[in-house]
Amino acid sequence: MTMLPRFRRLFRIDRGAVDVPVAVADELQFHFDMTIDELLAAGKSREEATREAHRRFGDLEQTRLGLQHIGRVRVTRERRAQWWSGMSQDLRYALRGLRLSPGFTIGVMLTLGLGIGANATMFSIIDPLLFRAPSHLAHPDLVNRVHLATQYQGKEFFRANYSYRTFLDLSRDTHSFADFVGYWPRNLAVGDGTETQERRVTGVSASFWQLFPVRPELGRLFSAQEDKVPFGENVIVVSWPYWQSQLGGRRDVLGQHLHIGKLDYTIIGVAPRDLIGLELTHPMGFVPLTSMATNSFEDRGAGRRYYDSYSMNWLQLVAERKPGVSVAAATADLQQAMIRSLEQKSALQPGSDPIASLKPRAMLSPIQFEAGPNRSTATKVGTWLVGVALLVLVIACANVGNLLLARALRRRREIALRLALGVTRGRLLAQLLTESLLLATLGAGFGLLLASWGGSVVRHTLTPDAEAGGVFSDPRMLAFAALTMLVAALLCGVAPAVMVLRADLAGALKSGSREGGYHRSRLRVGLLVVQGALSVVLLVGAALFVSSLRQVRAQPLGYDADKVTYVEQNLRGTALTDDQRYLLLDRLVQRAQELPGVVAASRTTSVPFYMDWGEPLFVPGIDSVSKRGDFVLQAVTGGYFRTMGTRIVQGRALSDADRAGTEMVMVVSQSMARALWPGENPIGKCVKIAADTLPCRGVVGVAEDIKRGSLSDDPGLMYYVPILQYPVGAFGIFVRTSAPATETADGIRRALQAEMPGNAYLTAQPLADLIAPEMRSWELGATMFTVFGGLALLVASIGLYSVIAYTVAQRRQELGVRVALGASVRSVLQLVVGDAMRMMAIAVALGIAGALLAARWVAPLLFHTSPRDPLILGGVAAALLLVGLAASFAPAWRAAHIDPATALRSE
Amino acid sequence: MADLDLLQGTLDLIILKALIWGPSHGYAVARWVADTTGDDLQVEEGALYTALHRMEKRGWIAAEWGLSENNRKAKYYQLTSTGRNQLHTKTEMWNRYARAVGRVLQTS
Amino acid sequence: MPRARNDILQGTLGLLVLQTLATRGPLHGYAITAHIIQASAELLRVEEGSLYPALHRMEQDGWVKAEWGITEKNREARFYTLTPQGHKQLAQEQESWTRLTSGVRRVLRYA
Repeated sequence: MTMLPRFRRLFRIDRGAVDVPVAVADELQFHFDMTIDELLAAGKSREEATREAHRRFGDLEQTRLGLQHIGRVRVTRERRAQWWSGMSQDLRYALRGLRLSPGFTIGVMLTLGLGIGANATMFSIIDPLLFRAPSHLAHPDLVNRVHLATQYQGKEFFRANYSYRTFLDLSRDTHSFADFVGYWPRNLAVGDGTETQERRVTGVSASFWQLFPVRPELGRLFSAQEDKVPFGENVIVVSWPYWQSQLGGRRDVLGQHLHIGKLDYTIIGVAPRDLIGLELTHPMGFVPLTSMATNSFEDRGAGRRYYDSYSMNWLQLVAERKPGVSVAAATADLQQAMIRSLEQKSALQPGSDPIASLKPRAMLSPIQFEAGPNRSTATKVGTWLVGVALLVLVIACANVGNLLLARALRRRREIALRLALGVTRGRLLAQLLTESLLLATLGAGFGLLLASWGGSVVRHTLTPDAEAGGVFSDPRMLAFAALTMLVAALLCGVAPAVMVLRADLAGALKSGSREGGYHRSRLRVGLLVVQGALSVVLLVGAALFVSSLRQVRAQPLGYDADKVTYVEQNLRGTALTDDQRYLLLDRLVQRAQELPGVVAASRTTSVPFYMDWGEPLFVPGIDSVSKRGDFVLQAVTGGYFRTMGTRIVQGRALSDADRAGTEMVMVVSQSMARALWPGENPIGKCVKIAADTLPCRGVVGVAEDIKRGSLSDDPGLMYYVPILQYPVGAFGIFVRTSAPATETADGIRRALQAEMPGNAYLTAQPLADLIAPEMRSWELGATMFTVFGGLALLVASIGLYSVIAYTVAQRRQELGVRVALGASVRSVLQLVVGDAMRMMAIAVALGIAGALLAARWVAPLLFHTSPRDPLILGGVAAALLLVGLAASFAPAWRAAHIDPATALRSE
Repeated sequence: MADLDLLQGTLDLIILKALIWGPSHGYAVARWVADTTGDDLQVEEGALYTALHRMEKRGWIAAEWGLSENNRKAKYYQLTSTGRNQLHTKTEMWNRYARAVGRVLQTS
Repeated sequence: MPRARNDILQGTLGLLVLQTLATRGPLHGYAITAHIIQASAELLRVEEGSLYPALHRMEQDGWVKAEWGITEKNREARFYTLTPQGHKQLAQEQESWTRLTSGVRRVLRYA
């Protein structure tokens, strides 16, 4: 018995406990053997002894089974306990290890934090756009957005908005839906006098409250009775944020009145705090859809009222399927109703295209608008950036994996020794994984910090309208971060794990850590090549977007966006005749021109990237003008071209002398001239506007092309007429100042507001603000790719440096011998740098191949830039090779100056 | 007060007591119990092993494989600190119980 | 054979009940528990849940017999009496108890 402690260690890895039945059998066998021996010694026969032993023991089988059961329960429990204690031991071990090398820890934390932060940031942006259902939605899985598509000239178009008539038709003629909702978010003037501010108000059909069965914070919601055609009740359920910020959160707001648009509304309720509705931000309130219609549309006679017209398209449609109805069945049902609705429309409007040629198609998309067919550029770019963020994470993981691997290699002998001492590979793996998990957790913490800061920056650029939630308080966000963290931990841990699994015990123990280490760093080289290749991909992306952005910015707009302000009049119910409105606008132009700092001003009908006006054109000698393009009318006053800075390239500009009664004139754009009269002089040509029975209008000038609808491929088909000869579209004026418009816009608005009668008010926007969203996707792409690509390159170059330095350290002796044998500095440099360059060359080749592969998908996002631009690809390749050269030079230099004596002795 | 508890408790008590001298395998425990109690208690060895394993599961005794006096592999049991505590408690309980039954038996 | 030895170690409830009936004459269940509590100075408590099954088993084995009678408080109850066989059983159980205690006492002597 006293010998026991000596053997304890040997049997510690309880072989017996693992195989319970064997252990039990062994123990009992021992017992019987001993008993029988003793009885034999006492002089009994073997037969007697055996019988006696069994008698003493009792029911052997029963006992054996009992012992086995007890043993199994015990072993299970012990294993569990062992796992936990092993886990906490690993954690302590890992913590100690990390504390001992703070530089390594911080480096890894930053690298992983970057990767996780980038992903968390992109997730926080993409989630509400594509995945998250609006809060309070009763049955998110049953709710769809409704889209109707028709074909036009062989292309399918999804409408963005639908008429009230269509809404009524569809809700009446379908049977698959439990609820059909129409809604319209609109900016309306809210308040009176100087308090007046434009705010987002959402008109919703009463069925909206079935979709969102909420209990109001205060008061009540509105009913179908209050949302009746033609005039809904002017009642409003204000949103929680508006109630808090503008109404002081007081409980006596019910029954108070609010001047919204041109109507007077009574507050009947306050929506719950997190009811946002079907968009990304809180509106100021919800009003009955029909009351919104009354507020927004004039009564323009039978067939042109909002509820009996098919041509006024303003609604977005959402429907909730009945439980158990599939999307396919509901879509088929919807399509039938759509066709019936189109039939009614064509009955009302004879001469419309035959329904069959329209190829009508209905579609149900998820409730998230961006997941439907009308996806915005922001979402497209955002989706790309998600991919970029994932690449960054992979690069970060490859780098961290590399660092961990280096650590593991340094501890190779220790690991081999422990394996030899009987520590299982499983335990070692668990230890390594615990370490990478711990690092990933630290990284995730840092990443979330990064996301909460960086997220707001990116979100502001990409989706300025979306409401931001806190990163740390959002369970979806935290779940995502946790998931990313796990993925990162696994990715990082995999390389060292592979090494442990393949570890060749004898080799590692016999040799010094040197030789083995050099051999094994192939894995590190592989990781490095992956990093390098991905960096190339990102850098190519960065270069493509930067080039696109440069091209976009270099685009001649055809006007000075920076110095022009668009001032728009909003009558808000103030009754003015058309003539009075024209006079008012003329007065505004005149008043503006008197303001200090104002260079020129003009009335306008079309505003670039905001709205435009078109009329059918007829040109003698041309069959169908509309087939040659979509021509846009701009009716202006004399100062227009001076105001905008649009050059006249031929003939003359329009002037205030062109008025009713004088010769009918027009100016066309260069593109329009080319489209209508290729190779001819456009001056003096005849164009008829609106009807071919009207008199000719002579072309007197040609203006340079302008961008008005798209920065990339605008046809630029514009024509300009004197507004005095063609009095239409009385909306607003352009004002040019000598100072940038961003500084002057509000001053102009204040000064001109004095001219406005009654409740009418003005809004003023710098023209550049209207164009900015067009640039946004490229700006963001360029910024993000550059930032991520630069970081990737930095990380990869550090990785390269560490690998080369490591290899040099491992080959110290060999290099020492070479130097001793008379190798020149240059040949050693060549040897080491050559190694690095080979790696980088492989990385570059792979990266370029990857970039070429991705070219097809990235091409639509670029602007006048080929995704296969050899200059860009070559430049990036050269840059990476240069970085490789720089990163490997220092270690190579050290290698070439090894003192052979020390190197040889060091073994 | 269930009968079974007494039975098990008594057996446990005896085994714990047997291990007070240091690690011992099942056979040695059985021998010690038989020698000490003589003919008074004839403990069935199957029950003894069951008790040993149950107490191992509960952590009152710990088991390890070692070599026996005659160089054979045997499972050795030894008291843990929990086991030592159990021994004290059980001794106390046993004494109190035996006293109580004794009182009942002495009434006439 | 092995079963019999097991029975020797079997608990003391039977012993206590038989002893009680032997010294106190016919008793109903409640009185049995009351006596055991009192005689053991409240150290022992026999629960009804185990007492009655035990009494019935003993009746089956012919160690006790039961008769209906009237309690001091004029309630009907089953009164148990020891049979001659029960007396023999009591003697056996007393002996095994003595053996158990002396055996354990010997074990406990080692301190």
